[in-house]
Amino acid sequence: MTRPRKLTKWLVALVVLHGIVAGAGFFAPYDPVEQDRDHPYLPPMRVHLMDAQHHFHSRPFFYPLRLREGSFDQYEEDNAAAIPVHFFMRGADYPLLGFVPSRWHLFGTDGARIYLLGSDAYGRDQLSRILFGGQVSLLAGLLGAGVTLFLGALIGMAAGYYGGWRDDLLMRAAELFLALPWLYLLFALRAFLPLAVSPFKAFLLIVVVIGMVGWARPARLVRGVVLSVKERDFVRAARGFGASDIYLLRRHILPETASVLLTQAAILVPQFVLAEMTLSFLGLGVPEPISSWGNLLTSLQQYSVLVSYWWMYLPALAIVPFFLGYLGLASALQQRSGAYKIDEKSSWSPT
Amino acid sequence: MQPLLRVENLVKHYAAGRPAPPKDKFAALDGVSLSISARTTLALVGESGSGKSTLALCIACLEHPTSGSIWFEGVEVAGLHENQQRLLRPQIQLVFQDPASSLNPRWTALEIVSEPFFVQGRFRKQERSDKACTWLDRVGISRKMVSRRAGELSGGQKQRLAIARALALEPKLIVLDEALSALDYSVQAQVSNLLLELQSSLGLTYLFITHDCAMAAHVADEIAVMDRGRIVESGPAEKILRSPGHAATRSLLAATPGVPETQSVLVNS
Amino acid sequence: MRYFLGRTLHAVFLLFGVSLLTFLFSALTPGSYFDEMRLNPQISRETVAALRAQYQLDRPLPVRYAHWLNAVAHGELGFSFAYNSPVGPLLWVRARNTLFLTITAMLLAWLLALPLGVWSASRFGHAPDRVLSWTTATLLVIPDLVLALGLLILAVRTGWFPTGGLASLGFENLSPLHKLRDLASHMALPVTALVLATLPMLVRHVRASVAEVLDAPFLRAAVGHGIPHSKLLYSYALRAAANPLISLFGFSVGTLLSGSLLVEVVMSWPGLGPLLLEAILARDLYVVISGVLLSMIFLVSGNLFADVLLYWADPRIRIAASAK
Repeated sequence: MTRPRKLTKWLVALVVLHGIVAGAGFFAPYDPVEQDRDHPYLPPMRVHLMDAQHHFHSRPFFYPLRLREGSFDQYEEDNAAAIPVHFFMRGADYPLLGFVPSRWHLFGTDGARIYLLGSDAYGRDQLSRILFGGQVSLLAGLLGAGVTLFLGALIGMAAGYYGGWRDDLLMRAAELFLALPWLYLLFALRAFLPLAVSPFKAFLLIVVVIGMVGWARPARLVRGVVLSVKERDFVRAARGFGASDIYLLRRHILPETASVLLTQAAILVPQFVLAEMTLSFLGLGVPEPISSWGNLLTSLQQYSVLVSYWWMYLPALAIVPFFLGYLGLASALQQRSGAYKIDEKSSWSPT
Repeated sequence: MQPLLRVENLVKHYAAGRPAPPKDKFAALDGVSLSISARTTLALVGESGSGKSTLALCIACLEHPTSGSIWFEGVEVAGLHENQQRLLRPQIQLVFQDPASSLNPRWTALEIVSEPFFVQGRFRKQERSDKACTWLDRVGISRKMVSRRAGELSGGQKQRLAIARALALEPKLIVLDEALSALDYSVQAQVSNLLLELQSSLGLTYLFITHDCAMAAHVADEIAVMDRGRIVESGPAEKILRSPGHAATRSLLAATPGVPETQSVLVNS
Repeated sequence: MRYFLGRTLHAVFLLFGVSLLTFLFSALTPGSYFDEMRLNPQISRETVAALRAQYQLDRPLPVRYAHWLNAVAHGELGFSFAYNSPVGPLLWVRARNTLFLTITAMLLAWLLALPLGVWSASRFGHAPDRVLSWTTATLLVIPDLVLALGLLILAVRTGWFPTGGLASLGFENLSPLHKLRDLASHMALPVTALVLATLPMLVRHVRASVAEVLDAPFLRAAVGHGIPHSKLLYSYALRAAANPLISLFGFSVGTLLSGSLLVEVVMSWPGLGPLLLEAILARDLYVVISGVLLSMIFLVSGNLFADVLLYWADPRIRIAASAK
């Protein structure tokens, strides 16, 4: 009985993580595009309960940062002004779940901004950008996985069910796609499509590109399932009543592929999120001002940022709990379906 | 009177590498001819690999014979187009040997028996349910079991379910391909008696395929013996069992416990 | 022999397929590509016209493909617009740099993974094994990108290693020993990143294969013969567990050119990766095609190599193949 519990554990964890990102507007204190040119590259600020005079405050507060005298990149806390942090306050507008307008935020400030994870070159709050960026990256990963699984299922079913030359052709194509280095293919595909497009189009483009790269493995797995199911007598019996091919595929064969598809989903989503991150990091993905975990890291390509502004690395860590969650889920699913084998080809690296 | 089913010189070759029923992987039909009169039972006996299942599939229009003809109620069915075959299918139904494989384990008993109606596009939802329940009742599956998944039922119950499904479209001919072979002896007796009872009340015709001569003796009016893709002997059940002519028949009888040549256990005469 | 022929034919087919695919991709937007070039004031109109004629862009697709195949067969990989030079020499230098990195990383990773995996398998379920499993699991959860960037920041803040390039200024003036040290210090970071990225999976595979073998009866018999523990592990167990590992090794060889793209870009190592990326961003068509093709050749050869290795190493496959 520990197995179902394990599965639930991972599912719950993932739901919570996704929930936080989905509710980015609520959890983020500020609008991600709101700039503050007076405060570029501020380091992460600390929240205090005890002030400099050792008085205890019931409401958490923070000290704004000011430049240390004689320095142009060292900051220190300005102990004079203690600015309280308010919980459940109204702040910038944001569309909850994409369409319900809301102004409520988990926490925020009146006046000076608190940068829990620092600010970037334009004074934008990194925490907010990470949360909102997660929406883009995760959505890209989920949609990309959807496209791949859809393609893979379709092709796998066609190949497995109809057999013959169609099967040979499709499986040769699959072999080809499997042999190609993932990342290269991704880049090449992206490269030969127009580079300077609107953010929305860019997003769609990379979802399609990512989706089209990975169909081969799911297709092969689905084909395997179809091959074994279509010889089962209950399929024959249904044909004996005069069932059409579509009926058989839809009502008998497709449900059998569900477990394979689910496991593949758990493996593919994090890989695709990473693919989006990589593309955006290199400038081939989602462009500014829309933030994604990938393009939040582009500033790290500058040496000055690497040396002085270490907090710009933090967006990279955002994906780690998701990777953990999906890896755990995939492992639990594989255990449940009995396919407990380390598949060397389903490694985490995109290559 | 015209026989219900007539098979003439049926030949079936499996091309190398094509999928084939696992039992008959290398078997072929090598000129099979037989006929069955309405409301009778023809038992087709033979060893594994003799081609019985292939014949069953061809008669049920689930495989295309390489050559030869199959006549059902005077209509030649082997060469029919798929659409025309679909019209004919309700008349000839097949009950498979392994109910674990022939029933989708995730589906409930009700869904399984309603499936033929759904596929043929008959009746509305409630009617389908009602008719399915009637058939289930007929084969002895109680109301309580109706919403159980097929995977949860016992062997005997599963086979009854398969029979109910075969009956749903009210066929004239039912082909039972080793349908009782996977069951325990006691359950075999129950189910075979059910089959006989159904036959007399519904006027069914059976092609009963088996390797067990005792079972054949119990249910058959006529027996045909198959060996390596051919019918080597056929005739009234009593005659075949009492005085088998062909070597294959004799070895089959010798191998089957409970059929001493001096004794015949017939119910249908 | 027939086995090799079959596999080689398969590999050749794969290469054709890839070249066709790559070419098709590139051929999707040739017009717009040259339009962009026309807008570029640095390239004269005559050059554009000449190039168009040379690459016969006005001809139908199959002709262009044949023409391109022919050129490649003669070693002419095209012309790089961004670098203003033929693609060939550019590619070889970068490929060489990449191979420096990946070969070192691969050897290191395997040299570490084998003993770690074997040791872990021999103490299956006990504390040391669990610690190792936990460590590999943690490393697996951290994607390459995150790892590489993290290492970079670490290096920058500690200043222990140079963070970019192949060699320091004045490299030519150093003594051979110092040259080696300089190269090594430049390679340290990217190699570490690559090793950390590939090691966890390798260790897991070794551990799994060896653990499976350790249960086998023939090994118990060997113990009964009084064979020392370490010899048991390495000469007996590892040999028997070798099959999947040999395949894996072959595949690893296949990814020598393509696996390090990200690390090279992040660490500013002048290899094939950054070249490809720049070419993509600059729409430098022939560099991209040739780069992809070269990596593909490696990949396909790697698979073939894995098959050959397996054939040589495992008598069972030899017997099965000759029985066909």
